[in-house]
Parts: sequence; structure tokens; C-alpha cells
Amino acid sequence: MGNDVFEITVNAVKLIVVFLLMVQAVPILVWLERRGSAFIQNRFGPNRVGPLGLLQLLADAVKFITKEDFAPDKAIRKLFYAAPVFALIPATLAYAAIPMSLPFMVPAFEMLGSTWGPYTFRVQGYEIGVGIVFILGVSSLAAYTILMAGWGSGSKFSLLGALRAAAQVISYELALGLSIVGVILLYGTFNLTEMIQAQQGPLQFTAFGHTITSAVSWIPNWGIFYQPIGFLLFFAAAFAESNRLPFDLAEGEAELVAGFHTEYGGFKMLMFFIGEYGHMMIASGLATTFFFGGYGIPGITPDELQQIILGWGFSEAGAGGLNSLIHFLSYNVKFAIFLWIFIQVRWTLPRFRYDQLMDLGWKTMLPWALANTIATAVIIYAVS
Amino acid sequence: MTADAFLFWFLALSTVAGGVMVVSLTNPIYAALSLAFTMVSVAAVFVTLEAFFVAGVQLIVYAGAVMVLFVMVLMLFDLKHEVESFARGKVTGAIKLLAAGLLAGLLIGAILYSSSGELGSSAPQAAAQIDSTKTLGYRLFTQHIFAFEALGVLLLVIAVGVVALSRSKGGTHGKH
Amino acid sequence: MSEMPLGGIIFLTIFIAIFGTALIFLARAIGGQRKNNSAVKRDIYECGIPGQDKKESKVSVKFYLTAILFILFDIEIIFMYPWAISFRDFIANGMGTPIMISMGVFIAIFIYGLWWGVKSRALEWD
Repeated sequence: MGNDVFEITVNAVKLIVVFLLMVQAVPILVWLERRGSAFIQNRFGPNRVGPLGLLQLLADAVKFITKEDFAPDKAIRKLFYAAPVFALIPATLAYAAIPMSLPFMVPAFEMLGSTWGPYTFRVQGYEIGVGIVFILGVSSLAAYTILMAGWGSGSKFSLLGALRAAAQVISYELALGLSIVGVILLYGTFNLTEMIQAQQGPLQFTAFGHTITSAVSWIPNWGIFYQPIGFLLFFAAAFAESNRLPFDLAEGEAELVAGFHTEYGGFKMLMFFIGEYGHMMIASGLATTFFFGGYGIPGITPDELQQIILGWGFSEAGAGGLNSLIHFLSYNVKFAIFLWIFIQVRWTLPRFRYDQLMDLGWKTMLPWALANTIATAVIIYAVS
Repeated sequence: MTADAFLFWFLALSTVAGGVMVVSLTNPIYAALSLAFTMVSVAAVFVTLEAFFVAGVQLIVYAGAVMVLFVMVLMLFDLKHEVESFARGKVTGAIKLLAAGLLAGLLIGAILYSSSGELGSSAPQAAAQIDSTKTLGYRLFTQHIFAFEALGVLLLVIAVGVVALSRSKGGTHGKH
Repeated sequence: MSEMPLGGIIFLTIFIAIFGTALIFLARAIGGQRKNNSAVKRDIYECGIPGQDKKESKVSVKFYLTAILFILFDIEIIFMYPWAISFRDFIANGMGTPIMISMGVFIAIFIYGLWWGVKSRALEWD
């Protein structure tokens, strides 16, 4: 995690901050979802507690934590209590690997009588060379949470919901994994930071040894222009992975009561919620990184922005910090747009039937993802 | 003790503890979950060996797919608890002792072999590879291309076999 | 630990495990647990009729079939990753055509497996 005490401490604090950032985003998203759904359905939504109902988050948290802690007699208590804790782990581990901004440079400085640094801190939990593979691997562990909760509850509704949810999650993992092959072919790397660097600058195609640069210089070199089908498949599969409408078959009220968390209430329920929203955030972050240039800003590269900020009279380190901050905001704008799409879709589309869901995953998205992979490979082969 | 050594012992002990739990727990679901934990630990051990892609594959395929299947199937069939973790009997006991002795001998032999001579000196060389995944891809598609294609056929055969078995007579989804 | 910060990952895992467990205990301390609940409350959820045990409910074999087909296709997809990452290098080395053909054969087997799976109605849910 680092070479000396200072670096290790900062990196450890950074990991905790990333985790808390994720947990903190959940009440805000819940508020946004409730207000947004009310807006879509021509209602008011929570508007009594605080301005615009913003303190509703706090009221909800208080309500959740003061609920009676309850487990049914037939529950297997170890699994029943372990499942919500495990729900947090895969989502956070995967989210911490997504780069959120430019690395932050700290020049050498004096502290406690010795010289420290210089350091480079990345604005992400940890940098991983095989980023995509790690994220896919860790988020595939989420199936255990579902199965543990379903089995541990001792209820047949929970078990059926868990089996359905697990079957759904693993089915769509195929389409998800295959839609990413096109992205890897495009960038030739697993590393998320390198992918973002490849997407900087104006749009340009390299074909037959010539480079064709787009006439309009502000159109960015984003992956969406190379992989439109891949993006659609990835985003649809990500919806299914996070068990949200229109893919929330796991908790179809009419058939399965509430799916694998039928028996859960209070704070344990909230932790499943955090896990679900965590998967939403991973999907949004990855879609931003793969197809929309990550933290990049259209029309300007980080180096150019650095020069502009230096022109305002900042020191080298200060300009670097401000540059990181601006790119962090850019990332969060894209990230928030995707999260809003998640909410908008949830309140727009009806739920699938289970056989339709499985048909969509296996018979529609998988062949399309294969076709996308083959087409990408053939084009790359043909133009070079 | 350096950080690397600490990490190694931590991972090694958790892997072995997971493995011991697999055989000693009487509830099949707990045993399967322990096996999943062992798989994750092994993935972490691969990371310490700088085999990052293999670690990711270990997570995706073994921990995320194979063990999920095991846990799902155990939940489908709802197996009963075993009465005790080890059956007691003279013949089976002798077989167990023999198997444990053979395994111990194999392990000690492997450790002695790997820590002496050729293998020990070639390890840093392998670690010096800049991008191990690209090397893996290169090896896979040049030296082992036949094994690679044969694997595709093998997976197809397994798929056909599984579907045929699940549709055989007597199943809940037999031919109509 | 340049390429994969294992220490960070383990640290974060342990931190979340402790944090989550602490939250559950906190919720228990604040929310409390009533000792003398009625048998109906302690039972699992059912819509008003006596609860049926999960051991009595039958589950479709389709779940097993889906899971094992998932494993097979997942392994095939994983094998495409090293190909995808080194494809440009192969083309640069002038080995594009043989790699393209060998991967084409592999993908053809994949497609045949998928087509067979669909045709044999193994993926039909009713």
C-alpha cells in the first residue's frame, strides 16, 4: 500500500473514504429515487421533513436503526446475519478499483524533522493492472450473498427468490463479460486508467495507415463511437446484474413476495439496499470509463487544462490539485447522469416475465454480444 | 517479518483453514461456502505470485461460477447434515492414513524440489515479464493452439451431455 | 505490490466486515429484541395460511441446467480475454491471419454450442 508510514496511512484513509462515499451516496440516491419517481408519476414524494424533503434521509436512517432486530425461528442465524454484511463487500471492492480522477501529486515536504515524498496519490481506492478482470471477478461473488440470504432465511419464498436471482445474475454475467471483449479488443488493455487515456483528445479513426481526425474538434474520442452495440449490451446487462427494474424478477411482489430478502427488515434490509445501489454505481462508473471517457473532459486534454490553470497563477502542485478536482467533477457529472438513467428506467418500463428475461439474456443479448465481438475483431483486422 | 512474508502466511493459513473446514464441517452448505472461501484465498495467493490474470480467472470461474453452481445445487436438493465429519472404521481409517501420508510426501517432495536448483532460480525471471497476460495470450495462441481448440470441443461435449442427462426419462422436465 | 495492491484489498475487506458487523450490533442495541414473541410472529412469511417448510417445495432442475451452461460459456468467454488483449500485437507481428482463423474456429464452436442449447429447449422456461 505504500513505501512509508505517511503513504500507507493516506492510502488506508482513502480506501475508507471510498467506502463511506459509496455508503453516503445511497441515502441521496434513495431520496432522488423517491422524489424522481414522484415527479415522473405526477406526485409530490417525501416533502415534509426538511427543505425538499432532504432530511427524509436522516429520518429513514433513524427509523431503520430503531427497528427491532428480528430473525424468524426457522432461520439459520449465522447465514441470516452474515448475508447483509457480505452484501457490502463485493460492491465496495469493485467500486474502489474505478479511477475517479487524475492522480494527485504531492511534492516533497518537511514534517516531524524529516523529508517526506514526493508522492502520487490516485483518486481511486487502488490501481489494479487487470482492472476489468478483477471487477468482474469480485462482483461475481455477489451471487453468494443472495444465496446465503435465501437459504439462511429458512423460507421457501426466500429460497425461490434467491435461486431466481442467482440464475438471473449468472445468466447476464455472460452477456456482460462478452460485451466487454469488444472493449478490450478496442483498447488492448485491461487497465481502466489506460482506457481513459486512450479516449482523450478529439475523435479520430486510424484506418489503412491513415489517421482521419474529426472535423469538429470538440467531439471526444470516446468508446461509444466505436462500440455502440457493446455499450447497449453492457448497460442492459448491468441493469440485470444489479437486480433492478425491469429485471427485478428476484423480488416480483406478485409471485415471490420480496424475493431473497422477504424475511429481512430494519438495518439488515438497508445493507442489502446499499449493496444493490453499489452495483448500480459500479455499472455507472464502468459505463463512464469504458464508453464515455472516464474523468476526461470533452474538447480539452488534462495537459492543456493544466497549462490553462498554471496561467491563472497557481503553483505546480496547486494547479495539479485543481486539475484533479475539475476532472473529479467531470467524472461525477457523467456518473450522476447514468445513475439518473437507472432511476428513470426503473419508473418507466414494466417488469419482464421470468421466461422473457431468460430468453432476452441467452437468446438475444448473448448472440448480439458475440456478433459485436466478431465484427470488432474483423474491423480491427481489416483496417490494420 | 516483512510485509510480504506476513501476507504469505496470512493467505496460506486462511487457505488451509478453509480447506480443513471443507472436510470437517457436517453441513454440506457450510462446506461448500468454505470451499468458495478457499478458492478466493487461492486467488489472493496467485496475486502474490504476480499472476494477476490467473487470479482474476480463479475468481470469475472457480469462486464466481463453479462454487455458485455447487451452492445452488446443494440448496436445490436440501441435503441432510452428516452425523459426523469422519466415518470410523479400520479399513477406511487405514485408507485415509495412507492417502494423507501420500499427500504429505508429495507436498514435501514438491517443496524440496521447488526450493532447490533450477526452479528456484527461474522464478525471478518469470516475474520480470512486463505484461504476463499478453505473454499468456501469445503462448496460448502459438504453442498451445491445439489444446485451446480441443478445449472448445470439450466444453461443447459437456454442454450436450448435461442437457441430455437433464432431459432423460424420470426427470421433472422429461420429454413430453 | 505494484500492479495489484493486495494489502489494500484485504484491508478494505476486513474493514467492511468489522463495520457491517458493528452496525448490526448497534441496530440490535438500539432497536432491541423482544423476548416473548408469539409463535405466529416468529414463523416465516406466508399469506395467512400455515407456513410451508422450504424442504417440502420442489425446485425446477432448470436452475441447475442454467448454472452449468453458464459455467461452460463463461470459461469460453474467459479464454477470449487473453486473445482480445493481445490481438493488436499479433497483427503488428504479422500473425493476424492464423490467430483470426483459430479464434474463428473457437467462436464457431461457441456458436454451435449456443445454437444447440437453444434448439434442445434447454433454455426454455415455462
